[in-house]
Amino acid sequence: MTWRTTLCLCTALLLTPATWANQPEDNGQSSASPIPAMNETDLAAGRQLFSVHCARCHGMQGDGGEGPSLQRARLKHVSDDESLFEVINDGIQGTGMPGTWAPNDDEIWQIAGFVRSLGKLPEEPMPGDPAAGAILYADSACATCHISRGQGRGVGPELTEVGLRRNAEYLRRSLTNPDADSPMLDSQITGRINGFLTVRAVASDGEYEGLRVSEDEFSVQLRDLRGTIHSFEKSQLLRYEKAFGHSLMPGYLTVLNNQNTDDLVSYLMSLKGDS
Amino acid sequence: MNHCAAVKKSVPLTIRSLITLIVITIAIPSAAQINFERLLADEANGADWLSYSGGYRSERFSPLAQINRDTVKDLKVIWAYQMQPTDMSGAGLQETTPLVAEGIMYLTESPSSVTALDALTGRLLWHWSPEIDEEVLHIGFPKVNRGLAILDETVFVGTLDARLFALDAGTGAVRWETEVADNSVGFSLTLAPLVVDNLVIIGMSGAEAGVRAFIDAYDAKTGERVWRTYTVPAPGEPGSETWQGDSWQTGGGSTWLTGSYDPELDLLYWTTGNPAPDWNGDLRPGDNLFTCSLLALDPATGEMRWHFQYTPHDTHDWDANQIPILIDGKIKGQNRKLVALANRNAFYYLIDRTNGEFVHASQYSKQTWAAGIDGTGRPILIPDKEPSEEGTLVWPSLQGATNWFSPSYNPDTEQFFVANRRMGAVYYKADAEYEPGTPFLGGGEQALSGDDASGAVLALNGLTGEQQWEFPLQSPPWSGVMATGGGLVFGSSNEGYFFALDATSGQALWRFNTGAHIRTNPMGFAIDGKQRVAITGGQTLYVFGLNQ
Ligand code: HEC
Ligand code: HEC
Repeated sequence: MTWRTTLCLCTALLLTPATWANQPEDNGQSSASPIPAMNETDLAAGRQLFSVHCARCHGMQGDGGEGPSLQRARLKHVSDDESLFEVINDGIQGTGMPGTWAPNDDEIWQIAGFVRSLGKLPEEPMPGDPAAGAILYADSACATCHISRGQGRGVGPELTEVGLRRNAEYLRRSLTNPDADSPMLDSQITGRINGFLTVRAVASDGEYEGLRVSEDEFSVQLRDLRGTIHSFEKSQLLRYEKAFGHSLMPGYLTVLNNQNTDDLVSYLMSLKGDS
Repeated sequence: MNHCAAVKKSVPLTIRSLITLIVITIAIPSAAQINFERLLADEANGADWLSYSGGYRSERFSPLAQINRDTVKDLKVIWAYQMQPTDMSGAGLQETTPLVAEGIMYLTESPSSVTALDALTGRLLWHWSPEIDEEVLHIGFPKVNRGLAILDETVFVGTLDARLFALDAGTGAVRWETEVADNSVGFSLTLAPLVVDNLVIIGMSGAEAGVRAFIDAYDAKTGERVWRTYTVPAPGEPGSETWQGDSWQTGGGSTWLTGSYDPELDLLYWTTGNPAPDWNGDLRPGDNLFTCSLLALDPATGEMRWHFQYTPHDTHDWDANQIPILIDGKIKGQNRKLVALANRNAFYYLIDRTNGEFVHASQYSKQTWAAGIDGTGRPILIPDKEPSEEGTLVWPSLQGATNWFSPSYNPDTEQFFVANRRMGAVYYKADAEYEPGTPFLGGGEQALSGDDASGAVLALNGLTGEQQWEFPLQSPPWSGVMATGGGLVFGSSNEGYFFALDATSGQALWRFNTGAHIRTNPMGFAIDGKQRVAITGGQTLYVFGLNQ
């Protein structure tokens, strides 16, 4: 889910997550976090809940997948235990991280405690040489479709922080089998939506293929591989199709050998924003 | 501020009468007298829009035909009004339907403010904002208000903190105020009240906090409460056999959407919401009357004449709080007086409005929970569709196949139009413990979204429920529809479009991108003989017409 609206109830309406199940009891105390006092039983309960609610995106060990690895001491959206609680409870607007309502407050704290314990684990080791990977990145013309550190063309997702977002296994899959994953975005209006959906439009003046940038009942806007945006009236199109499960990114399985792939994955893992 | 606006029309302003005018303004009611007779005639009168649904039958039908299939292409914005900023966090979603009376437009703004505008130009006449505590409870819904009611010189509005206000229509001054219910246990008012005769009738929200809901009537002049009818019976009362133990005390059955009224039968029709807790039915075995029902009440006393329960023992949060439209027509060759309702549970129902007898039900949207509706109106359940700990995928989602946003009925063509949400959800069951003023839910849902969900505007044959056409929408809508005498159906989308469809074919004939999520209902009126239609997108109310 996504869209917290989906949480809404009878009166059916958009629930600001902050008002919801959460209501983190403001008891006047500055540190309300129960995490420091947690014992093994709490953490085991947290692990169990994590495997039910989180592992499908973050991996069983929190080592990442569709969602980022949480085996990191410093998380991007999290400053303290309370903000970790909020991220878990409310999700992160505009990303693929949904809120959760099923666990109650105590259970969310147990999950948060488990996530904190993950942060104490050592970082995932790199399978290869990131410096060699940087050269491959340049040589393979990845920048014709990706922006990283301000350079390149934004057809696919920005990669500046991809090392924070994805683990090694996911990154390897992106290169060898791009069709396997579709980066999702959470939007207030449409809910969880495929952020880089390949669409094809046949107009009277020719065929267009690209990534859906925006769509409504009357029109669709797509970005082609040159980065050009095309806007169509759906009623004027001869054909319009959504190619679920077909990525516009070429597969590099046959182009890169194992060592190349390890190096490139390592380079991508090293992309962690400015730091 | 110009509180003489209403007077100007009727009193010629000459030097001789200037002094008299001042006296008259103070001493006698202005020409904008909206008495009960005017409310009864609202349906036929296209110029005004005097109640939430544009008349007691709740057709939300504008009989005007200047804007029609041929002229609609020239429809343009005549004026727009930007709503007043509010400091309240979480406020700002607009669900209002404006009223128009004698050239003045009255509307509500989130959370519970009232604004009067000159309907000719959109100029602000007055704005009233009640003090509402930041900590106000609104459990299960956002900080919204859907509209107001008018009688004589007074407009009536319910507030998020469960108070009812009567305001002078000319100035916004408070005439009286009363606490309808206690917000600290979760009661809240988001609906437009309904005036019947000299009474202001109001329901409330709160089932997600485990309230025991009711419908109230207040004397329009004094604010004294005249009656209160609970939607969940106390032990010993009729229907109490459908609850066990103390579960009735936290039974829900909210009444959060405006009802309808039949002056001939003198019956008030009001709908009720889900039993509480929402998704864990184990805590409240039984049918849980009178939740998810249609109630027929004597408007003078509140006495319940009959009820019809759409979803017995609901566990999916399918409130029946949709607009009950009063329609007349032939069923199997016989003239019938009916109540039509497109229910959140994905079935379209016709009930005999004289006695509550079940007449018809048909599925209008994808659903996976019932094999059908039996001859008594009771759903034939498909096993294992209850919320569960591991999650159960069911259509429709808890927001339903439609929701609070209004349907519309064209009595001439007998067409029923409804904005339809096409979305499934995984329903979860969890424990629930009642604690006053906190969520009492017993579970939740994860709805399918993105490309897995969509919407439509549907045209149904009002007397058979058969679908005539559909106009697809990108995502499940949160906004209602209005049919007009010009053969059009106005509707809108999450994507921000306000559009006009041909009522016979469902083809889009005109559209306007408001640039923001629309979650209001369209309404229509006329000023100086010129037809107008209005919609709010984001924080902006737009009024459209063919010419200035
Ligand atoms: C549907 C997939 C999905 C599920 C389920 C999910 N997450 Fe996430 N999560 C994501 C994605 C994607 C992000 C990255 C958001 C971004 O773009 O920064 C994320 C981000 C986060 C972050 C922030 C990381 C940072 O660097 O700040 C935390 C913490 C987190 N998730 C915890 C959880 C927990 C705990 C659960 C289970 C209760 C959970 N997530 C369930 C997809 C998911
Ligand atoms: C023709 C355009 C194109 C080229 C060239 C391209 N990509 Fe992509 N890439 C995409 C698109 C589109 C997506 C998003 C859809 C998907 O996941 O397949 C994507 C996704 C990715 C992702 C996943 C990002 C995420 O957060 O899910 C990674 C990592 C990636 N590309 C790396 C690379 C690298 C490294 C190269 C060069 C070897 C490359 N790409 C070349 C278009 C391209």
